[in-house]
Order: sequence, then C-alpha cells, then structure tokens
Amino acid sequence: MTRKANNGAKQDNKHAAGFLGRFIAYLVRHAQQAVGSLGDLWRNPFTSVMTILVLGISLTLPATLHVFVKNANAISQQWKSASEITLFLKLSVSESNAQQFVQRISLYPEVASVEYISATQALDDFKHNSGFGQALDYLSANPLPATVLVTPTNRASQVEAATELLQKLQSEREVEQGKLDLEWLTRLQAMATLIENVVIGIAVLLCSSIVLIIGNTIRLAILNEREAIAVMKLVGATDSFIQRPFLYSGAWYGILGGMVAVLCVAGLVEYFSMSLIELTDLYQSDYTLIGLSSSDMLSLIGFAILLGLSGSYISVRKHIRAIEPTAE
Amino acid sequence: MIRFNQVNKTYPGGFVALNNVNFSLAAGEMAFLTGHSGAGKSTLLKLMSLMEKPTSGTVHINGVDLSKVTYKQIPFIRRGIGMIFQNHNLLMDRTVFDNVALPLVIEGFSHKETKKRVEAALEKVHLSSKLRCFPHMLSGGEQQRVGIARALVNKPPILLADEPTGNLDPKLSLEIIKLFEEFNDLGVAVLIATHDLGLIARLKYRTLTLKQGAMINDGLMEGLQGVHDDA
Repeated sequence: MTRKANNGAKQDNKHAAGFLGRFIAYLVRHAQQAVGSLGDLWRNPFTSVMTILVLGISLTLPATLHVFVKNANAISQQWKSASEITLFLKLSVSESNAQQFVQRISLYPEVASVEYISATQALDDFKHNSGFGQALDYLSANPLPATVLVTPTNRASQVEAATELLQKLQSEREVEQGKLDLEWLTRLQAMATLIENVVIGIAVLLCSSIVLIIGNTIRLAILNEREAIAVMKLVGATDSFIQRPFLYSGAWYGILGGMVAVLCVAGLVEYFSMSLIELTDLYQSDYTLIGLSSSDMLSLIGFAILLGLSGSYISVRKHIRAIEPTAE
Repeated sequence: MIRFNQVNKTYPGGFVALNNVNFSLAAGEMAFLTGHSGAGKSTLLKLMSLMEKPTSGTVHINGVDLSKVTYKQIPFIRRGIGMIFQNHNLLMDRTVFDNVALPLVIEGFSHKETKKRVEAALEKVHLSSKLRCFPHMLSGGEQQRVGIARALVNKPPILLADEPTGNLDPKLSLEIIKLFEEFNDLGVAVLIATHDLGLIARLKYRTLTLKQGAMINDGLMEGLQGVHDDA
C-alpha cells in the first residue's frame, strides 16, 4: 500500500550546506578529531606513556650519535687548516745550524711558510701547558728537540704531495723525525664516516621498530573500537573518516615521543659536557659540546611525527578495512 | 527504491539462504518482511545494506545496481538507507545527541545544521529531553527510538528495520510502528523485518513472507495463516 509517494526527503539532502560551509565544517571536524584522539591517549595513560617512552628512547640513541658526529665534524673542521708537517730536529743540531736549515727549506717551492720553535722555547711552552711546571726545573738538560713547523702550499698539501714533501724533508740530515698531521686528520675523518654509517644503520633499525610498535598500539586501539567502527560503517562512514582519529593518535605519539627524545638528548649532552669539562680542563682547552640546535629539535620531532603517522597508517590500512558490520 | 531480481544466496557449505527471490518496493511504500528464524530475512537485509553479495541475481537500491558498487562506494550507498536493529547498535560511550548526529557528522554537515536536524529528529521520536543522556540511562524502548532518530536524521529515502520491536512489549511495539507510519507519511519507503505476527495482523500492510529462502507470499496478511500453521 503506497502512501504519499513524494520524495521530499531526497530533495532536502541537496541543500545541506554550501561549499564554504562544508569546508569549514570539515576543518572543524579535523580539529575536533585531533583533540579527541589526544583525549583518547589521556584516557589510556599507561599504554600511551609506554608507547611514547619507547618512541622517545629509541630516537634518543641515533639522535645522540648524530650529536657525536656533529661534534667530531666540528673538531676536524678546526683542524682542516692544520695539514702541516712537524719536523723534530736531531738533538745534536746546533741553534745556528737549525736557523740555516730553516732558511734552506723555506726556499722549497712546495713550502708556504716555516715556523721554528727552539728547544728552549719548546720547554717553556711545555712547562706552561702541561702543569708539571716546577718539576721540570729539576731536569739537568733539556730533553726536547727543536721543532720546525712546515706549512705546505695549497697544491702540496694534498695527501700524496704532502707525503712526498715529508719524505724529502726527512732525508735532510738535520731531521730526526717528521710527522704529517694530515694522517690523523684523515683517520679522524674516516672514523667519523664510519660512525656516521653505524648511526644510519642503527637509526634505520630503530625507526623500523618504532613504526612496528606504533602500528601495534594502533592495531589494539582499532580492535578496542571494533563495534563502534562497525556501527559507523553501517551509517555510511568512509574508511578515511574512520581512520582519521587513529592517524591523529599516531601523530600525537610522534609529537610527544619526539619531545621525550629532545629532552633525553639535551640531558645526555649536559651529562657528557660535565665530564668533558674535567677533560678539557686537563688539556687547557675550552671546547664545549654542541647540543641539538632548535632546527635539529624541530626536525627530530617532525621525523618522529612522520614515524608515528606511518606506523598508524600501516595499521589503519590493514585493520579498518577488515572490520565489516554484521546484522546482529 | 528496492528491487530484487532472481536473487539467490548460497553460503559456503551449501546452505541456501535465498532461492530465486523477486520483489520490489516502490518509493514511499511500507511493507513487512516475515518468516521463521533462518528463513532468510536477515540475509535479505544484509544484501540490501551491502554486508553481503548475492550468489546470483541483482539487487537495486535507489536505482543503483549493487553488483556494480565498488568498496569505496559502499558508504555512499549506505547513506541512502536508514537502518534500525534489534539491539539498537548505539555507541554506548557517546550521548544521545552524538549518536543521532553521527550520520550528519560523517556526511560533513555544519555544526549548526547538525544541531537543528538532531533536535528535530529527537523531537519526532519524543526524546528531546534525553539529549544529554547516555544510551545506558535509557529504557529499551527509548534506545530503540534513538536508533530510529539516527536512521532518519539524514533523511534517507529508505528505512530498513530488523526486528525493531524484538525486545519490546506490545504497547511499545505499536508506538514504534506508529513512528514508522509517520515517517512513511513523509515519503520514506519502509521495510520492517519481524516475526511478530500479532503486530502484522493488526495492521493492514503489504507483507512479504519468506520460507526456507523462497518468497512464498507477497500481499496482504491473508497468506500468513500458512506460516503460522507450520510453526
């Protein structure tokens, strides 16, 4: 029996709201869902705190190693200009012979400049810098050789050319021993590169585990909401509508975990620089550790958000589709 | 509005739930769907709401052939059908207002429009005073009415009800049916699945009767006697 078969109901659907109104409603909805999912984290404090800490701590290790590499680079940066050759003269070489030797090598085409440190001056410097001070006065003779610092020209400071120059200088009869500073510099750089590779390797492993951990946390959250999701699907919710709060949860985990990592790294740098101060005091140097810059912090948090989002995205793709409403 | 054309549904394992079912429900029509448990009522509703696909035959809802609907289109088809369940399917951790507002929120209505429509829908089911309550604070009949308000708030052209009076006493059942009649008056096509034959007997509506998956009767309630005798 057909009652009034007008379709007033259908017509009404069309003038629900204008485009602008819908767009604003969409933004408001996003904001509400973002705040709502933060509330969901708050309601399960134990799970949330655990996940956030895991994320934060996992990110702390690669971030700290990054700080280490950054400092190593800063140190080698300071020494970049120091590709100089140190020549220790034989103890038997007299002061005047040494002066002549300096004159002679400064005429070499490969040599840019030469600095002469006499044995007495070397002893004075050592007294001043080492902290042994008075004790050295008890020495009967100066055990230090005179030293010549040779700075090669730019062309000759390449590793091979510098090594050649070193050999040439070593063959001079006044020279006891020669040392090329470039060697330890290249070693330091190689070590920094090695550590950087290790950092990348560890970071990749830790980041994958973060993605998996967040994916699992979100999976549990989805399964908890299974019934509500089925109901939402029944009344016509799209997957993207249903998944949005879970994606926001992932992003919140990222933000909070990233903040934890920033705090941990800052704490570690503080801790390290305290022991570094003791060390640098011994060496009369005033090197201070470089911590995370504010752009470093932002990119760390941004990276954590990216990890959180991808973890929840993987979970959401797989599990929300699997939940289907049943008639019961 | 709803059209079944030679629809068969066989579940894995060989159970035949629907056997060559043909019927159609016009816009603004109201009908009952009846039969024993296991006669295929639920299967019929599942096919209409895209929870399952027929083994063969075609189902049309609001002029759309459901066999051509992709996974991504399913939500949009479901928005054209208001569904009411025996167990209400309400979200227990949300207020009555939020439950009724859900379809509008999903469709992206503005807050103002949502508020207006939810209040109107709740007024129609006489629950305006329970706006801020949670579902567990309501009686069974009230929860069912919240479900009805939610099914109708986005003004779908079709209303499907699966045992809407299942847990209610006769007086409340009649109230619920009266509500359906009111919406039917506004032009909504209504299909009510029920085994409450007493209720159907009192109301002279078209009745579709299923028996072992086959549509054995399509018309007024006279044919019901046969079903009753079998019971």
